[in-house]
Amino acid sequence: MILHYKCPGCGSDMGFDAESGELSCEACGRHENIENYPEELKSVRFSEDEANEYHCENCGAVLITEAETAATSCSFCGAGVVIADRLSGTLAPAKVIPFTISKEEATKAFQKWCRKGLLTPKGFMNADRIKSLTGMYIPFWLFDLNSKVQVNATCTKVRTYEQGDYIYTETKYYDAFRDINLDYVKIPVDASEKMNDQLMDKLEPYPYDQLKDFKTPYLAGYIAEKYNYTDEELLPRAKDKISGYIESYIQSTLTGYHSVNYTNKHIDTRNKNSDYVLLPVWMVSYDYNNSEYTFAMNGETGKIVGKPPISTSKVAMWFSGITAGTFLALKCVSLMMGGGFW
Amino acid sequence: MSRIFLQKRGLFFLMIVFLMLLPLAMPVKAENFDRSQYIYDFAHLLTDQEAADLQNLAKELGEARETAFIILTVSGTDGKDIVQYVEDFYDENAPGYDQPHGNTAILAIDMQERDIYLAGFKKAEQYLGDGRLDQIRENITPDLSDGHYFQAFLAFITTSHEYMGYEPSDGSSSDGYSGYGPGESSDGYNGNDSGADPENIFFQWWFQLIASIIVAAVIVAIMAYRSGGRVTVNAGTYMNSDQSRVLNKYDNFVRQTVTKQRKPSNNTNSGGGGGITGGGHSHSGSSGKF
Repeated sequence: MILHYKCPGCGSDMGFDAESGELSCEACGRHENIENYPEELKSVRFSEDEANEYHCENCGAVLITEAETAATSCSFCGAGVVIADRLSGTLAPAKVIPFTISKEEATKAFQKWCRKGLLTPKGFMNADRIKSLTGMYIPFWLFDLNSKVQVNATCTKVRTYEQGDYIYTETKYYDAFRDINLDYVKIPVDASEKMNDQLMDKLEPYPYDQLKDFKTPYLAGYIAEKYNYTDEELLPRAKDKISGYIESYIQSTLTGYHSVNYTNKHIDTRNKNSDYVLLPVWMVSYDYNNSEYTFAMNGETGKIVGKPPISTSKVAMWFSGITAGTFLALKCVSLMMGGGFW
Repeated sequence: MSRIFLQKRGLFFLMIVFLMLLPLAMPVKAENFDRSQYIYDFAHLLTDQEAADLQNLAKELGEARETAFIILTVSGTDGKDIVQYVEDFYDENAPGYDQPHGNTAILAIDMQERDIYLAGFKKAEQYLGDGRLDQIRENITPDLSDGHYFQAFLAFITTSHEYMGYEPSDGSSSDGYSGYGPGESSDGYNGNDSGADPENIFFQWWFQLIASIIVAAVIVAIMAYRSGGRVTVNAGTYMNSDQSRVLNKYDNFVRQTVTKQRKPSNNTNSGGGGGITGGGHSHSGSSGKF
């Protein structure tokens, strides 16, 4: 089933407007509130293998989609359409963070970011070769994890003191135990096969106060995908993301010792709850020197990640500059220490 | 008439002034001693050419440090201790860079006893304290033992020159060595304190260059690494602090061990060091065998 939003006023196509957060009609400027929009997808069931070919509700042309595309624009008439089958039942997202950065703002922000690059080549800094800027809702699982931690450790406190002609080293051994409960909420793990995990991790954090109940009109005019991995498949990755946090928390509870030697460490992490959400990301594809660079921008905070090209001449400039500066500084320090300038 | 008289009076006045300045311009010389000669090879260890080379080097580097770098080789010291011999040499001959009993660094070796003694007077006493003289002596002793006298003497002059480029111990550096007149002693100065260690790796230009290159490489690498964006979430971002806490804990004392170690004794620094000459000139020094 294809959803398409027609303006009740003029019959033109409506799309999601990042600035107002409402459905808006470009032709007549009419705004429709989304939060009160009727939504019945969760209850609706479609048969699993429904036709893989969809027709645009607006013009009737065939929609070219990939298997995971849940929202797209008709390549023929440009109308934003939502493929409801791929967002219903178990595929129905619980929440969504709508875009707050519009396409124009995203372009400007990207150009500004390019100019700030200290090592990027001059030609890249103009940012005049943006090939495409695509607003995508990326499927994420938000995990609420609970960890129960029991650790035993042999800890030591060392004290040295002098008495007479001798230096005494006193080592006290302690048997320490900690029973810790740790709750981590809404850990985002991207469920899209296409997206680079490292890139997505760097896009965090997402402002969760912007999470809205999912309504299909939020997707109008953007690309959206359904998840490729279930929450069960992604649980190990979620656990992996917090394992470092757990370790540092355990360490923070064992302070005041000179050495800590764990004899027993038991960490049991369980998934308390996982929500399927769609998070907004602007994907920027950029041509430079015959190669294509991909950047991602958090559609809510504007944070940009991705490897820009690195200019060898700028690296050389910074390198020699810092070397000369440090050398001069060291010479001054040496002079102050009485070593002479040369 | 009066003009000629005035000219005559002017000439007379000039002559008076000249006569008054004469003693200052030509200070009394110790007899038979040429203060511009720096090499006294009584033991005949050097060829004439070598002695001339060293003489030129000592003159050149000595000017830079306003110090006379004197090399003294003897075969036998008439039963005197070598320290005593050097002190007497300084008292009797009154060497110095620009004045009698002036800034002088002496390297003396006695071929009979195979003694070596390094002494620093006046400015050289400050800049070449016992510690630095020890370092120089240790540097050149192997050459002396192998009979490479020229190399050893060369090293003495160049190293002394180099070390005098480093500040001596704090405080005593800026007090002005030029204030020391003949016969004036500076017994307040403690020659044991060698100040900034000239052999400190930190003062070496190649070390400073390598350190700078490493710093720059690390900074540029961090810049390149961070150009792709970085993770800005931390342990606190996703933690629900209301529910996360230590539920139960204990820290039980089990046992204790005590080990003892004898304090390292302050080994008294031997090696002679400096002293005061019979003429009342204090000096730093370092003595040894080769």
